[in-house]
Amino acid sequence: MKKRPIKVMFKMPMVIVFIFILIFFTPLAIYSPGENRNRGVVTAIGIDKADEQYEISLLTFIPTANQTYKEQNAVISGKGQSVAEAIYNAQIAMGRTIGLAHAKTTVVNEELLNEDVSVVVNYLSRVASLPENTVFVCTNKTAKEMLESSQELTSHLGLKLEQVIGYNAKHLYVTDTSLEAFYKGYYSKTKASLIGYLTLEEATEQEKEKSSVSGMNESSQGGGQSEAQGGGQGGNSGEKKHILNQGQAVLLKDGKKVALLSIEELNGINLLNTKSKDQIISIDNVEHNGNKLSMQYKIKNKKTLITTEFENGYPIYVAQLILGVELVEVSGMDDSLKINTEFSEVTEEVARKIEEEIKKQYTASIKILRENNADVIGVTKKFFIEHRKEFTKFVEQLDGIDDFLNYVTFKLNTIVQPD
Amino acid sequence: MKQISVRQCGVLIVMCIFANKILLMPSLMYEQAKADSIFVLIVLFLLDLLLLPIFIKLKTTYPDKKLYDVLKDKLGVIITKIIYILMLLFFFFKCLLVFSITYVYFKQQIYQNEFIFIAFISFLPVINHAVVTGVRAFSRTIEMFYGIVLAGFIACLVISLFTPISNPVFFTSNGKMFFESLYNHVFSFGDFIFLFLIMDKIQIKKGQEKHLYTYSIIGMLLVITLFYLFYAKYQVTSFMHNNALADLLVFSVQFNAIGRLDIIAMITIMLITLFQMEIFNYAFCDCFLNIFPLLSKTYSVVVFDIIFAVLYYIFIGKYEIMVSSTMFWLPYLAIFINYILPIILLIIILLKRRRKHEKKTNKSNV
Repeated sequence: MKKRPIKVMFKMPMVIVFIFILIFFTPLAIYSPGENRNRGVVTAIGIDKADEQYEISLLTFIPTANQTYKEQNAVISGKGQSVAEAIYNAQIAMGRTIGLAHAKTTVVNEELLNEDVSVVVNYLSRVASLPENTVFVCTNKTAKEMLESSQELTSHLGLKLEQVIGYNAKHLYVTDTSLEAFYKGYYSKTKASLIGYLTLEEATEQEKEKSSVSGMNESSQGGGQSEAQGGGQGGNSGEKKHILNQGQAVLLKDGKKVALLSIEELNGINLLNTKSKDQIISIDNVEHNGNKLSMQYKIKNKKTLITTEFENGYPIYVAQLILGVELVEVSGMDDSLKINTEFSEVTEEVARKIEEEIKKQYTASIKILRENNADVIGVTKKFFIEHRKEFTKFVEQLDGIDDFLNYVTFKLNTIVQPD
Repeated sequence: MKQISVRQCGVLIVMCIFANKILLMPSLMYEQAKADSIFVLIVLFLLDLLLLPIFIKLKTTYPDKKLYDVLKDKLGVIITKIIYILMLLFFFFKCLLVFSITYVYFKQQIYQNEFIFIAFISFLPVINHAVVTGVRAFSRTIEMFYGIVLAGFIACLVISLFTPISNPVFFTSNGKMFFESLYNHVFSFGDFIFLFLIMDKIQIKKGQEKHLYTYSIIGMLLVITLFYLFYAKYQVTSFMHNNALADLLVFSVQFNAIGRLDIIAMITIMLITLFQMEIFNYAFCDCFLNIFPLLSKTYSVVVFDIIFAVLYYIFIGKYEIMVSSTMFWLPYLAIFINYILPIILLIIILLKRRRKHEKKTNKSNV
């Protein structure tokens, strides 16, 4: 007699296992509430320190059904004696458990950089699961204000904070400006790193008025931004501010701020970085047909050859730089001069002047790095890898590895040619 | 008797080679020996690889015998049982370590606080079923998924090449660091010991031995490549990243825009963990049944589940304790199982050969 199929099925242990799993998980899945009811998704985090208190601000995304494409965002903050306490208070204010896994940006205020900032962010990345690929930036005002202003940036321009700083990371900084890049510098032998810097500026009266009108319009549409108050401290600080990206960066040593670098200084630091292009070099008093002209050249191409050696026991860093430049602007324009990338000629005088300008930038940037004992361009590492024995012997004679940069002789040979 | 083919055996070896090495170990090793951990890894792999000819010789000398019978004949019941108790502990803790590390990984990834009960429910019935159905059934399953696992593993490695990497700085650790690291991580090796346990269930035809070497070398090269790329990518911060295979994907800035690309790593790790637990659970049950021959397979599985759940929940399963145990007291156990036991087996083979030779010469003299 044939066995019934159901009976046969039940004789297979895998079917029983499958049914057991179904029985266990199905009610669990049906009765458990939606994850978004318990958990707040944080897209950016701000950390401020004032009056020996930490303030953690969270730019949260609240997933709710609406008929517009606008995201419901809110800045919620909490204060505390420690970062853990501040996060705990922010969590209470939000009424949800905080999940930092989606945080794309971490902003800190300048005051926080007066002490070792790694202590603060280390807690967040180790305990609170803040991802290391989060963009890590500093601001001149409070991080909370930066996050509030970033909401406006997103709603008006569709531009996110990480995208604004993303350009700098690609073109200006030696590395990107992520938390990981900060840690890489911090845990290196020289303990130096660079992070991005964004400034906040007060809006003019006219802009404030305009903004309040547009704000009203947004709320009437029902899909505008929400300004939540967390722990009695959150919400909009009232003052409308603009985010300014001037391409600056903060130089950190041992996790503390040692210098604020301008875009020119950053260009000098990045001179040998082949990824960093499109810099503008201005040269004055270039003679053309008896006229003195100012010219702007753009670096279109870059090739470098770096060699290191010990000469008479002293380290020498030799860089050969080949620049492909393009004339982009001429002040005091002469009629006979055609700005054409294909035909723009680099005369001997132009090449010499560009070379002088480049060397000036390079010297200035090395000076900053030496003054702050902050080797962010990896000179020390290169010597360590290529001449380990001599390097170790040399460093033993110094007060420490930080001093090494001061003894390195830098040589720069530049060849300028039209691109 | 239901036997497994050389290919299935090779696939089991690859899974054993991946065990405990692809998530936490690269970062733990970096803390001790920096990038020179790759050399520590190579040395430990070479030591492991020495076990393979011993296994093949043992298999040729005793083609149909169980390891238990071989040991019992030569060393007696009591010593064999003691060896089996040690092996039982070895595989049990290996299984616990695999589970602990993967559990913590999924806890971080799936965004939950504690889900230990769900993890037990998800893993234990499946691995129990695999053990009950036997080595042939689960090795066929692993063989089926082998391509997917390998593709996922290689995808993780390849994707990491699209991000900035630079050569790790080697030779920064001293001899003490090197040997300490060697000792501390020996427990995660000894991947071929499982083959000795199932030697009677493997069918090796003449000339097929080389396939075992091929599979072993593939597995080892993949792990070495993972270590290299991981250190090349993270350099000095390698110690901060506890999930090597997944972290190769997660921190690729270029791929963040695509979304949760780390799902590739998640699926690969999930499958590898499941198969490794099946292998170690099977080894545990096999040892258990040899120690207590009157008990059934189902009984051994239930005992495993109870001890596993209780130990995990109460004491050893706590991640930090488990990991520190594998670095401080479990290496003693590992040194015995990984190196002393194969030496004992080698001596047994040599003695057997000598006797054979003596018999032959006596016959010819007569």
